[in-house]
Amino acid sequence: MSLPFEPRASKLMVGLEIHQQLGTATKLFCSCPIIKSEVLPFSFRRRLRPTQSELGQIDPAAVFEFNKGKVNLYEWSPDSSCMVDADDEPPHEVSPDALETTMLIAEMLGSTQVDEVHVMRKIVIDGSNTTGFQRTAVVALGGAIATEGGEVAVQTITFEEDSSRVLGEDESSRKFALDRLGVPLVEIALAPITGGPDEAEALAFSLGRALRSTGRVARGLGTIRQDLNISVMGGEVVEVKGVQKLNLIAKVVRYEAVRQMGLIKISEELKKRGISKVSATTVDATPVFGATKSAILKRTLKNGGVVHCVAVAGMAGLLGAEPFAGIRLGKELAEVARTNGLGGVIHSDEFAKNDITSQEASALLALSRSDAKAGLVLVAGDRLRVETVAKLVSARLSRATNGVPGETRAATEDGETRYLRPRPGAARMYPETDIPPIVVTEEQRRAVKKMLPVPWREKVRSYSERYSLSGELALQLYDSDNSRLFEELAPETKLEPSLVASILIELPTRLSREGIDESRMGDDVLRSVVRALGEGKFAKEATIEVMRTIGKGDAKSVDEAIDKLGITGLSEAELRKIVAEVIKKNKPLIAEKGERSFSVLMGEVMRVARGRVDGQRVSAVLKEAMKAR
Amino acid sequence: MPGQSGYRGPSGKLLAGAGADVGDVLDVRVGSSTLRGTLVPRYEHADDHHIVLKLKNGYNIGIETGKITNVAKVEKGERPAFRALPPPKRPDLPEISILGTGGTIASRVDYRTGAVHPATTAEELYSLFPELSDVARVRTEIVLSVYSENLEPSHWETIALKVAQEVDRGVRGVLVTMGTDTMGYTAAALSFALRGVPVPVLIVGSQRSSDRPSSDAFLNLIGAATIAVRCDFSGVYVVMHADSSDDRLAVHRGTRVRKNHTSARDAFQSIGVEPVAYWSREGLEVVSKDTPQRTRDKLVPKAKFEPRVALLEFYPSMSQEHLKAVLGTGIKGLVLEGTGLGHVNSKNIPVIEKFVKEGRTVCMTSQTLWGRVDMNVYDTGRDLLRAGVIPLEDMLPETALVKLMWALANTSSPDETKKAMLTDVAGETTKRTIPRGSR
Repeated sequence: MSLPFEPRASKLMVGLEIHQQLGTATKLFCSCPIIKSEVLPFSFRRRLRPTQSELGQIDPAAVFEFNKGKVNLYEWSPDSSCMVDADDEPPHEVSPDALETTMLIAEMLGSTQVDEVHVMRKIVIDGSNTTGFQRTAVVALGGAIATEGGEVAVQTITFEEDSSRVLGEDESSRKFALDRLGVPLVEIALAPITGGPDEAEALAFSLGRALRSTGRVARGLGTIRQDLNISVMGGEVVEVKGVQKLNLIAKVVRYEAVRQMGLIKISEELKKRGISKVSATTVDATPVFGATKSAILKRTLKNGGVVHCVAVAGMAGLLGAEPFAGIRLGKELAEVARTNGLGGVIHSDEFAKNDITSQEASALLALSRSDAKAGLVLVAGDRLRVETVAKLVSARLSRATNGVPGETRAATEDGETRYLRPRPGAARMYPETDIPPIVVTEEQRRAVKKMLPVPWREKVRSYSERYSLSGELALQLYDSDNSRLFEELAPETKLEPSLVASILIELPTRLSREGIDESRMGDDVLRSVVRALGEGKFAKEATIEVMRTIGKGDAKSVDEAIDKLGITGLSEAELRKIVAEVIKKNKPLIAEKGERSFSVLMGEVMRVARGRVDGQRVSAVLKEAMKAR
Repeated sequence: MPGQSGYRGPSGKLLAGAGADVGDVLDVRVGSSTLRGTLVPRYEHADDHHIVLKLKNGYNIGIETGKITNVAKVEKGERPAFRALPPPKRPDLPEISILGTGGTIASRVDYRTGAVHPATTAEELYSLFPELSDVARVRTEIVLSVYSENLEPSHWETIALKVAQEVDRGVRGVLVTMGTDTMGYTAAALSFALRGVPVPVLIVGSQRSSDRPSSDAFLNLIGAATIAVRCDFSGVYVVMHADSSDDRLAVHRGTRVRKNHTSARDAFQSIGVEPVAYWSREGLEVVSKDTPQRTRDKLVPKAKFEPRVALLEFYPSMSQEHLKAVLGTGIKGLVLEGTGLGHVNSKNIPVIEKFVKEGRTVCMTSQTLWGRVDMNVYDTGRDLLRAGVIPLEDMLPETALVKLMWALANTSSPDETKKAMLTDVAGETTKRTIPRGSR
């Protein structure tokens, strides 16, 4: 993925942090199973107190805010949550399975285990943890992961509990599902790399593959989340959270690197214009728009809202300027507005587009005592929100001279990033005193060393060699959820391993793109499909049709699908009959083209046979029949 | 000072040698690598051959002392002084007293070392509970600092007399904070010692420690303070969460409340009666129709307790030897937690009879907790009555223990003691058992 500038010149640094769910049977601090509950019949409501400062002080303003603020509503099912999750019971001892898996991962990456593991409380009061903190512990320090481009250092390996699932939010409450709270994760923080987006993505893939080689991590969508710490030109680090698909990483890194370089360019332009400190004035501009033609503003005023204008000296033209495609200061301001409940902002570089007249613009300049070189940002909506957002817009603009503000952003599904919240201060952490420190014994370390898995690159090579698969197919097989099924079926069937591999990997992917529910393509279904094909029950070409039928729910088994599709395998006799008929029908063509009519005849026989016989058999019989003539 | 930090043995020696104190930043050499972090305290019950460093990323790790080749002090730790904000001056607000006896309903965390400090002054309380400044003017005092399982009857006396002192000052109400384990016992003790108290005395604690953002301490304390200021009733009550949500508190009569769960927020329940009131941010809802009201009467505390009383839960197969051994410890009274309507095995009845004949007092309650004893119904019950056992209606076993200690200290003959036990003082027995279905 190319950048519109040299990565090295931009001093792009990417720090990868992976959160991988462990494949344990229970949660980290209790014996609840790991289940996503569809039905959550019970609930309780809680408030989390704002945190103290380092010195134990609580900001009284924050407390009053909190008392007026939202309540956290937790919905739960007895199948997946217990009193530990509800913070009505102390945590149980750390899951030995989770600890061992984390130690194994550490051993695999050459990290140094700590002698005594201390579980900590990391304060989190956004509601996603019922206790008001996340329990987490460092298990090992150091180590390295090998990539195609060399080694990347590992900083820390920790285990931690996952937070509850956000279900939604309204004016008075935030809703969470408790099922995910307490699920064990391993977090691996890597030292920042200086390569570009593709290197970052390759690194994530390598790490993901290494983790999966242990056989002790969870598989499936949402079981691995990556956070990226990205900076350019040695500036502020932006934390991008929650990239769920590995193959989006390059896109996200590229977008964020370009965004940051764009902001730096804007700050350089500001410097060129002689602006070392941004001065912003906010005025209530509602009266200016009494007769406006702008649809948005008309609607706002009709609903009793207000329009405030933030005027910034010297920034005309810089709000809509795009140092790189899609990167605008105006977009940053719109994100701030959207995070705080408004639809966006209207800035002066887009006034015409929004039906705001030059008279109205002049009136705004006059009202805010600005000259024509000023940039204007309109914030419209209900008074309370507008006042909050106008303050934030003003604050954001005043940081435009610094280039990139350090903040926390979220990755979007399209591989972009959007503003999430300000960067948190140093994490407030203190010991989880309900759990005694865990001494790691020599015996445990020895036992873990014996569990080291085959390195994933070796495993991929062995697939290639043992089953004669292409390098690409072998890698796809390793990455797929069905590699174990493959290793079970490939030896027992007489089908080519590459055929089995493609049935287990490519076909389910194709079908899921068609919208077929992947849960219908489970191990049992795939197993029966491969076995039936091996027994010649249908033709190779019909495999996808069979799977599609089962996947859509039109048949419950392979036999039923074969029946429904009417593709029971052709017997020798039936096949010869069809071939004979096709030959008879095409006498003139054969007379004219002789052997070169073969492919046409093949086509016709296959059309008639329609998936009941595979091409090789048809070819053999047809050749024989033609020779006989 | 290394001695106070919990480091002893090999780890204590190592740190003393380097002149290292908790809070100092150290470079610790292990093999070929050096770990830099802040030295944090060691728990009493952890071993003596690890030291604990807080790394720059905030995490603590333990390092085996035997592997350490060198410890160097990089910088001396600063002890940031916590400066509480001065409380606002609101002379218009009523005054309440908050007495601490243990349990940490209000504490703050020193994130540098992980130490948790309980709030001991009014200033600290206001710092942790700014809402208090809109509710009341607060006087605070630490009366005791004891785990509640270590409380003795003499402590109940101390607490009662201290509460009485505050009441005499004319405060609008008194809050007593304590550990929850024996809160029910203490609540009963104060109910008897302070009977007729003209203002509300509210006992409050927290099930989830107050250093965590989710603690029930906040709602419990603010709620109790608000109730103390606004309510019209007097008497001794326990105020804790009514359910698992942070919505409502229940106000329980001090003689009829019990801790019925090891850890839940709503562990405290009134047994055999409804809580007298519920409180939420919407206001105070008084449910009971016969709570005593505020008066201007002078409080005359009766705070003496006779500690030589035992509470014994009966179980099938309990031997005479066992009962004799208990009775032989010099106790003056015994509260039995019998089965069902108030029974023990027949073989022990003669032992009980002998004890009573010696001028001692034996009372019966039920281990079912719910319902009232009636020893007229079965032979065993009648035999126990004949042996001189006093049936205590629906009094809770723990409350009965406390009341018997109180009655023995404040009466001078077995007959007077019996009369005292059978006379309701603070709602510890009811006359009517309301069916449960109507709750």
